[in-house]
Amino acid sequence: MRHRARWIALAVGAFVAVLAVVLATQVGTDPRADTNRSHLVGKDAPAFDLPTLDGNHVRSNELAGKVVIVNFWNSWCLPCHQEHGALVEFARRHAGDPSFVMIGIVRDDTDSAIRRYVEEEGVRYTVAFDPGARAALDFGTRGQPETYAISPDGVVQGAQIGPSDVALLERLYAAAGGRP
Amino acid sequence: MKASLGVLALALGASGAVLGIGTLGLGLARHDERLLRAGRRYVFVVLVAALLAAAVMEWALLTHDFSIKYVAENNARATPLLYTITGLWAALEGSILLWGLVLGGYLAFVVHKFRNRSGDPLVAWATLVGLVVALFFFGLMLGPANPFKTLASAPLDGQGPNPLLQNHPLMAFHPPLLYLGYVGFTVPFSFAIASLVTGRFGEGWLAETRRATLVAWGFLTVGIILGAWWSYEVLGWGGYWAWDPVENASLLPWLTATAFIHSVVVQERRGMLRVWNLSLLIATFCLTILGTFLTRSGILNSVHSFTQSAIGPTLLVFLGVVAATGIGLIAWRGDRLRAPGRIDSPVSRESAFLTNNLLFAALAFVVLLGTVYPLIAEALQGRQLSVGEPYFDRMTTPIGIALLFLMAAAPALPWRATSREVLRDRLLVSAWVGALTMVVAVALGARELAQVLAFGLGGFAVAGIVRQFAVGTRGRRRASGEAWPLALARTVRSNPRLYGGLVVHVGVVIVAIAIAASSAYSTKREVRLREGQSAGVRGYTVTYLRSQQDRSGQKTTVSADVRIKRGGDDLGTYAPAISTFRNAAQGIGTPSVRTGLREDVYLTLVSSPNEQGRVTIGVAVNPMVMWLWVGGGVMALGTLVALSPSLRRRARPTETEEEPVPAEPALREREEALT
Amino acid sequence: MSRRALAWVALAAVLVITLAIVAWPRGGDASDASRVSSLSSELRCPDCEGQSIEQSSTETARAARADIRQRVATGQSDGEIRQAYIDKFGDSILLKPEGGGLGIVVWGLPAAALVLGGGGLVIALRRWRREPHQHPTDADRELVGRARP
Repeated sequence: MRHRARWIALAVGAFVAVLAVVLATQVGTDPRADTNRSHLVGKDAPAFDLPTLDGNHVRSNELAGKVVIVNFWNSWCLPCHQEHGALVEFARRHAGDPSFVMIGIVRDDTDSAIRRYVEEEGVRYTVAFDPGARAALDFGTRGQPETYAISPDGVVQGAQIGPSDVALLERLYAAAGGRP
Repeated sequence: MKASLGVLALALGASGAVLGIGTLGLGLARHDERLLRAGRRYVFVVLVAALLAAAVMEWALLTHDFSIKYVAENNARATPLLYTITGLWAALEGSILLWGLVLGGYLAFVVHKFRNRSGDPLVAWATLVGLVVALFFFGLMLGPANPFKTLASAPLDGQGPNPLLQNHPLMAFHPPLLYLGYVGFTVPFSFAIASLVTGRFGEGWLAETRRATLVAWGFLTVGIILGAWWSYEVLGWGGYWAWDPVENASLLPWLTATAFIHSVVVQERRGMLRVWNLSLLIATFCLTILGTFLTRSGILNSVHSFTQSAIGPTLLVFLGVVAATGIGLIAWRGDRLRAPGRIDSPVSRESAFLTNNLLFAALAFVVLLGTVYPLIAEALQGRQLSVGEPYFDRMTTPIGIALLFLMAAAPALPWRATSREVLRDRLLVSAWVGALTMVVAVALGARELAQVLAFGLGGFAVAGIVRQFAVGTRGRRRASGEAWPLALARTVRSNPRLYGGLVVHVGVVIVAIAIAASSAYSTKREVRLREGQSAGVRGYTVTYLRSQQDRSGQKTTVSADVRIKRGGDDLGTYAPAISTFRNAAQGIGTPSVRTGLREDVYLTLVSSPNEQGRVTIGVAVNPMVMWLWVGGGVMALGTLVALSPSLRRRARPTETEEEPVPAEPALREREEALT
Repeated sequence: MSRRALAWVALAAVLVITLAIVAWPRGGDASDASRVSSLSSELRCPDCEGQSIEQSSTETARAARADIRQRVATGQSDGEIRQAYIDKFGDSILLKPEGGGLGIVVWGLPAAALVLGGGGLVIALRRWRREPHQHPTDADRELVGRARP
C-alpha cells in the first residue's frame, strides 16, 4: 500500500486528537464531584435503630411524621469542629418544636472520645452511636461531616456533604417541610 | 534576595535556550557551520542556570527562608535535615525545577558526546529540539509554576512537607530516579525528530544514543520498583501497585521504551522498522508529558493527590504541539524513510521481536485507555466512573502471560530463519523445566490458572537463559581452553548487550513470579487483642504486648508492640503505628513488615487502644513479596551489564554469539529419511 | 517415533494434565464466600481513595463487607447488589466498568487493536513469504550506477 506510514499516522493522529479534546474539556472539572453529592436525595431514608448516649434507642419508625435532621460527625474531624457551633445554634433555635428531631450520629470514632467531647462542648441534641457502621453505610456516607434532611413522610429531601452553617441548615430544614 | 537570584537564574536559563534556538535555527537555515558550532554552547548556559536555580532553592530550604512561598509550604523549622534537602522535589514547582536540572544534564551530555559532529545538521536539529523542550520547562517556571514566588509577609514557621513525604528516607531517592528516567527519553526523542526533519537515517546516531536510552530506561525501572516498595512498606494499605493514575503515568513510557529497546535490535541487524522505532521514541516522550499532565493537573482521582494548578492547560497545549509535530512529521517523511526490509520466517527472532512490540503496544494501550476512561465517560455522558484493579488485572494478565512465553522462547530462536528440528532441539530441555515447575507448583497447592502459567513459563524462561549462557561459555572454552568462570566472564564481556539483556529477563521472571504468588495467595485478617493476648494467622502467632505513645515535634505516634512467632520460633517484635500530624486531622498508618524469603508478615495498626485496652491489628501474610525487590535489583544489574563496554571494538551486526545452526546432521537425517 | 518426538509428546501430556487439574471447576460450597470476595473486590471503598472494599480496613469497608455477606446470604444476585451500591453511592463506586454502552470503549477497543495489529503482522509475514526476494527498482539501479566509477 502506498504511503502506508501516512495513513497509519493520520489514523493515530485522529485518535490522539479525540483524546486531546476529551482531556481539554475535562481540565478544570472536579473528579470528585460525584462523591461530593448525595445520591439519596429524593429516595426513602434508610431505617435505623441506634443506641443513644444516654442509654436509650432512637428508632426511625418512631420518628414518622416529624422533620428529622441527621448529622454524621465525630470528635476528631476538623470540619466537624468548624460546623459544631452552627449545629448547636440551629438546634437551640428549634429546640421547642415537637415536630422536629435532630440527631447526631457518630461515625468512625470511640465511645470515650465522644462522651468527652459531648461533655466539654455541650451537645444538647440526641447523640447516637452507630455500631458496625450500619447507618453510615445505609445513608451512603463517605466521610464526615454529612447532614441529611428527612421530611415527615420519610423521604430524604436534602443533603450536605461537608461542613454546614446555620443558613444552610435552615434551608435543609425548609426543604424537608419544616415550618420557619 | 534569594528569590530574585533564583528568578534570575531561571531567566538566564530561558534566555540561553532562546539564544541557542535562534543561533542553531539561523545556522541551519543558512547552512552555516560556525553558527551551529556556536549554538551548542548555549546548552551549557542552560545547565549552569539550572544548577544555579537548584542551588538557590536548596540554600533557601536549608536556611528556612519562609519569605519564599515554596519553602513556607514545604518546609518547617522542625523538619529533619534529610527532608529539608529533599524538599526540593516535594511539590510541583520544585519538581519542575528538578526536571529542568536533569534535562540540562542530559542535553550537556548529548552536546559533549557529539562534539565532533557539531556541524552536522542532524545533531544541530536534535540540540535545537532539546533546547525547545528546556525552554518550555523554564517558561513554566517563570510563569505558572514559579518556585521562587515570594510571600508578602513571611510566616514565622513553615507548614512543613506533607506528612506522607516525611515518613521514610526513601523519599530522597524515588522522585530523582524517576526523573532521571523520564527526562532521559528527551534525548532519543530529539534525535528522532531531527532524523525526520532532515530526512536522514542510518547515521549511527541510534547506536550512540542507545546508551542514553538504556540508562533512562534503567532509571525508570528502578524508580517504578522503588515506588512499589514505598507503597508497600511505607503507605501501608497492604499492596505495592494500585493501578493508580499516577502509577500508570510512570508505567506508560516504560512500556513503549521497553518495546523500543527490543525493536531497535531488529533495526540494527536488518535495517527494518525504522519508522516504527521513530514513532516509539516520539510516543515515549509524549507519554512522559501526558503522565506529568495527568499527575499534576488534578484531572483524575488519585492517592497521590496534588493540588490543581494552572500548569494543567499549559502542559496539555505543549503535549498537543509535540504530538501534532511528531505525527505530522511521520505522515510527511515516514514513507521516505521506510526501509524495504523483510522478515524471512515467522519462526525467527525478528518476528519474536515484532510480536513483543505488538504485545507491549497493546499493554500500553490498555493502561492508557483504562486511565483516561473516566475522563472519556465524563466528557461524553457526564457520568463519573472509576476504573480500578479488577479491570487492569483482567486485561493485562493475558498479555503478560503471552509476553512471558515470548521471553522464554525467543532467545532460542535464531535470526532469519530456522527449521523445526533446530527449534525443538533448543527448546526441549527448557520446556521440560517449565513443565516440571508447573507440576511442582500445582503439587504445592497452586490452583489459579494465570499464576500456574506464570510459574511454568518462568521456569521455562530461566532454563532457556541458563542454556544461553552455557552454550556461549562452552563455545568459548572450546576455542580458548579457559576455566569456566573466566570463560563465562569473557563471554559476557564479548556481547554485553545480549547477556545483560538476559540478566534483565531473569529479573523480570523473578518479578513475574513474585507478582503471581503474592496476588493470588495472600491472606488477610483483622484481630482484636488485649494486652498479652494472641491470635493465629496462617501458622503464625501474633501477640499484642503493649502500646506506646511518642510525641516529637510535629507528630504524635501511637504504636503497638507485637511479637510474631512461627511454631516455637520467636521471629521478633514489630511495631505498626499510627501517626497524627499537627496539621492533619486523620492518622497516617505505618505498617511493620517482617520480610521473609518465602512470605512477609504485614502488620498494621487498624485502631489504637480503646478504653478496654484492646487494639485492632491487621495481619496479612503475603507470599514472595521480597522477590519483587530482588527482581528489581537483578533488572538493574542486568542493565549495568548491558551498558558495560564490549570487549570487541565494534560489534558487527552480522556477528552473533550463537551456536551455529547444525546443517550437516539435519541434512543427513533428511537423506536417511528419503532413502 | 524417535526419542525426541516422544519427549515432546510426553511434555504435551504433562502440560494437559496439569492444566486440567488447575482449570477443573471447583465445588460450589465455597461459592458464597468467593462471591462476597469478588463483589467486594469490584466495589470501591467509599471513604478511601481507590481501594476496594475487600482491601480496605476502614469501618465503612468492614460494614460494607458484612452487608454484602448478608445480601448474598439472602439470595440477592450480583447485579442486584451492585445496583444497590450504585443507588447509594453513584456510578463511581464500581471499580470494573460495565460492559454495555460506553463500556465497549474500554473493553472492546484494546481487543480490537490487538486483533488488528496481529492481523497486520500476519498479513505482512505472508506477503514477505510469498515474495522472499526484493527486486531492485530503476531508481536503485541508477543509484548504484552513479556510485560505480
